[in-house]
Amino acid sequence: MSQLRLPIPEVTIRTIRVALAGNPNSGKTSIFNSLTGAHQHVGNYPGVTVEKRWGGFTAKGTDFNVQDLPGTYSLTSFSPEERIAQNELLDGGHDVVVVVVDSMSLKRSLVLLAQVMQTGANPVLCLNMSDEAERTGLRLDLGQMRKLLGIPIVQTVGHRGIGVDRLVDAVHAAADSPVRRPRLVLGERMEKAIGAIRGHMEPMHGAAGGRDWVATKLMMGEEEFVQRMQGVEGDWGGAAIEEAQRQRKWIESSTGQDVALFVTERYFGFVDGLLREVVREVPRKDARAVSDAVDKILVHRALGLPIFAALMYLIFWVTFTLGAIPMDWIDAGFGWLGEAITGFWPEGSESPLESLLVDGVIGGVGGVIIFLPNILLLFIGLALLEDTGYMARAAFLMDRIMHRFGLHGKSFVPMMTGFGCSIPGIMATRTLENERDRLTTMLVLPLMSCGARLPIWMLLIPAFFAPVWRAPVLWLIYAFGIALALVLALVLRRSVLKGEDAPFVMELPPYRVPTARAVLMKMGERSWLYLRKAGTIILGISILMWAATAYPSRAEYDVDAQIASGAITLSDEEIENARTAEDLRFSIAGRVGRTIEPLIAPLGFDWKMGTAMIGAFAAKEVFVAQMGIVYAMGETDEESQGLRETLARDYSPLTGVSLMLFLLISSPCMATLAVTRREAGSWRWAWLQFGGLTAVAYLISLVVYQVGSLLI
Amino acid sequence: MTQQVEQRNLTSALEDYLETIYQLLQEQPIARVRDIAKARDVKAGSVSPALKRLADMGLVKYLRREYVTLTPEGEEQARRVYSRHRVLTRFFESILKMPSEEAERDACAMEHCLSDEGMDRLVRLIEFLGACTSCAPDFLDRFHRCPLMNDDAPPCPDECDSMWGSTISDSGGPMSIFDLTPGDHARVSQVNARGAIRQRLLDMGILPQAKVELERVAPAGEPVWIKLDGTQLALRRQEAEAVLVDMPT
Ligand SMILES: Nc1nc2c(ncn2[C@@H]2O[C@H](COP(=O)(O)OP(=O)(O)OP(=O)(O)O)[C@@H](O)[C@H]2O)c(=O)[nH]1
Ligand SMILES: [Mg+2]
Repeated sequence: MSQLRLPIPEVTIRTIRVALAGNPNSGKTSIFNSLTGAHQHVGNYPGVTVEKRWGGFTAKGTDFNVQDLPGTYSLTSFSPEERIAQNELLDGGHDVVVVVVDSMSLKRSLVLLAQVMQTGANPVLCLNMSDEAERTGLRLDLGQMRKLLGIPIVQTVGHRGIGVDRLVDAVHAAADSPVRRPRLVLGERMEKAIGAIRGHMEPMHGAAGGRDWVATKLMMGEEEFVQRMQGVEGDWGGAAIEEAQRQRKWIESSTGQDVALFVTERYFGFVDGLLREVVREVPRKDARAVSDAVDKILVHRALGLPIFAALMYLIFWVTFTLGAIPMDWIDAGFGWLGEAITGFWPEGSESPLESLLVDGVIGGVGGVIIFLPNILLLFIGLALLEDTGYMARAAFLMDRIMHRFGLHGKSFVPMMTGFGCSIPGIMATRTLENERDRLTTMLVLPLMSCGARLPIWMLLIPAFFAPVWRAPVLWLIYAFGIALALVLALVLRRSVLKGEDAPFVMELPPYRVPTARAVLMKMGERSWLYLRKAGTIILGISILMWAATAYPSRAEYDVDAQIASGAITLSDEEIENARTAEDLRFSIAGRVGRTIEPLIAPLGFDWKMGTAMIGAFAAKEVFVAQMGIVYAMGETDEESQGLRETLARDYSPLTGVSLMLFLLISSPCMATLAVTRREAGSWRWAWLQFGGLTAVAYLISLVVYQVGSLLI
Repeated sequence: MTQQVEQRNLTSALEDYLETIYQLLQEQPIARVRDIAKARDVKAGSVSPALKRLADMGLVKYLRREYVTLTPEGEEQARRVYSRHRVLTRFFESILKMPSEEAERDACAMEHCLSDEGMDRLVRLIEFLGACTSCAPDFLDRFHRCPLMNDDAPPCPDECDSMWGSTISDSGGPMSIFDLTPGDHARVSQVNARGAIRQRLLDMGILPQAKVELERVAPAGEPVWIKLDGTQLALRRQEAEAVLVDMPT
């Protein structure tokens, strides 16, 4: 066989695969970001990360492939996002598993380390939040701890990147020296039981340490492991299962405890023993004294909910009033740019390129970009809620109300995330243990008014409401979204998603002062995303929309014919206006708009809004862009009025309200539908979301507009 | 439908008469009014009106004056009442170990008021308790030795998972986290939740002997907020009630 052999380059660089495991909120993602320079989302509440993510960096001539995992309290399955972490830890084939623990809750966190050790992994212990430990005076004998555990230990301050270089060293060293790690011994009874079960497992492949884990899980009767054993070749699997059952009975009858409690107590016992040996000084100060004092006010039994409502109001007020200042500058900037561009063409020219640039791009994309300051302020507000730890408190305060409507207190966190964007909100529903809770939350989540709809409110509210009313109306829109989400959730839970309530157990982390860096990073990330969206999808659709609005134009105008026949007489300006209006109606957008007009006229909408709504399906901001385009095209006089003034002139406030309700409730954008489909597992749910919300929106707007028209 | 109406009209006294006639007919072909009165320990004069009403309902047939027998419907009704009576008597006597006279009396009182469904299920339970030795061999023995049943019994070392949580006897029964008031310190004694949520609570460090403090309750009374080993957790009522605690006295 003579085959052409390509020279294979010498591989000198090796790759180390590292997983970051740990309890929720222990700082895994902070460490991941410090290690890899990534900007993954961090927040001070459990369950921020819901997906596994790879990142990489090179150090010491070695490629490190790092995987950030969702947090998990133990290696026993519970919620979907925990299952992701557990599967990855059990079967991921990592060279090193870094167990990130919160130094302030060592007891519970080290239980996970014990379990990871049992799986036969190669662990490195990362004592994170060591700044907080130090501040309270907790001192550990790390030398002793290394000796007792037989694994490398590093102290870090994750969000500031302190100690991360030592972590890299430790991981590197650990990957190089696959020393025999001491087996974790969990007391005499447990040893006997594990020994007996392991006796049947000699033929099993894989790390010897992992057998302890499988044996333990068999004894606890965990379905997944039992099935795995049933599936092995030969009859030793069945024998191991039988032995495990025998051992379980023996343990239960000799201790009077069920096996789950027995085993968990062994883990905690192991950790207690360890801590007795290594804690040199216990904390002098209560680590959470300040945090607890703040909670006394913020989650006060009577004041808690009003304070929550006030905080939300404050965020919207700031978004509105502070945002208006730079918005005016940007608006002025675009106005100037538009005039500068017009200046290239001779007075009165009808160049399509000029129209495209001024009406299509500046009118459309510019109209979206001017709301960047508002978006930024909203995201600063949300970032502060996330990073201080208030989010978990909000879930605590809202649980009872949510429960009434068949939802879950924890559903509130994804819903708040949805104020930023529905997509991460829908992803965040993975923290809900119960599938029905998860689906319900997902389906109603688009009712949380997202950042992309903010420009719509910023455009419409000032057009129809007096200044004092603007912030309250914005707040009301958000509140109405939440209220409707609750009602629809109840309907879902009473119809297609009937079922038991899921338990509610949630950890409340201490308040932490957000670092300016973290908040700026979130802001920067958001602005970049917003501008990128404006520069790509919104630009593209704006151009399409511009073309659809500009073409075809009429060759001959009805007005001219009428004037020629002497039916009417008009001033020059009036003639010009009439011609433009005819052009608009004749264009593709005009025709499409007029086709659907009969459908939306009962809601008080005209064909211009109709075309803008179709565009909004691609991205919600397009509504603003298209309204800008239609009106820029419609403008004839030189002294152009602002879009808001035009809207206020052309439509009644009642139409404004009906329109805002429709845009709040109706069809989520394409990307949201796609994510719902992926997270829910079938198009059925995505269509239900789309159809259901649109139908509800139609009904509500119809009632509001029709009843309103009768009353006014 | 008519049958149900009839059944409702059948008062417990009439049911007792049916039962008595049924019992008499086990031994002899016909029942005499005199025997019925004797068995029921009443005057013969008061038997006749009852028999007349039963005859009107089509449950009893007079063969001659003073001699009655049961119609097919009457026999069916009577058998139903009688078997209920027997099952209940057995339940009180041999399972709950009550003196036979008291057992008989309670059975008489109870047999009339149970619905068919309730009775049917009770019968199955009783059969299970009496007969199913494979699931629970010394089950009854243990029940009578358990502190739940026997006031003199020593405290039981087993950790019992009550399927009722702590709600079945809420006065003087064990306390749960939910019963604490803000500021209370307590020690966990049992974790009664089941399945996945039990494991979750255990993983969170809610184990027997763990010290907990109730920090606060949410505006609507739940969830509750507890401190435990330097961490703080929120639990809904259902989960909080599943964790039993002892308060230091
Ligand atoms: N004081 C202090 N805070 C930290 C440290 N490391 C992380 N944090 C903060 O702790 C919070 C949680 O950090 P994350 O990195 O999101 O935690 P995580 O483990 O990824 O959390 P999940 O994804 O929810 O499992 C954030 O507010 C961080 O800023 C640390 O060493 N010291
Ligand atoms: Mg994370």
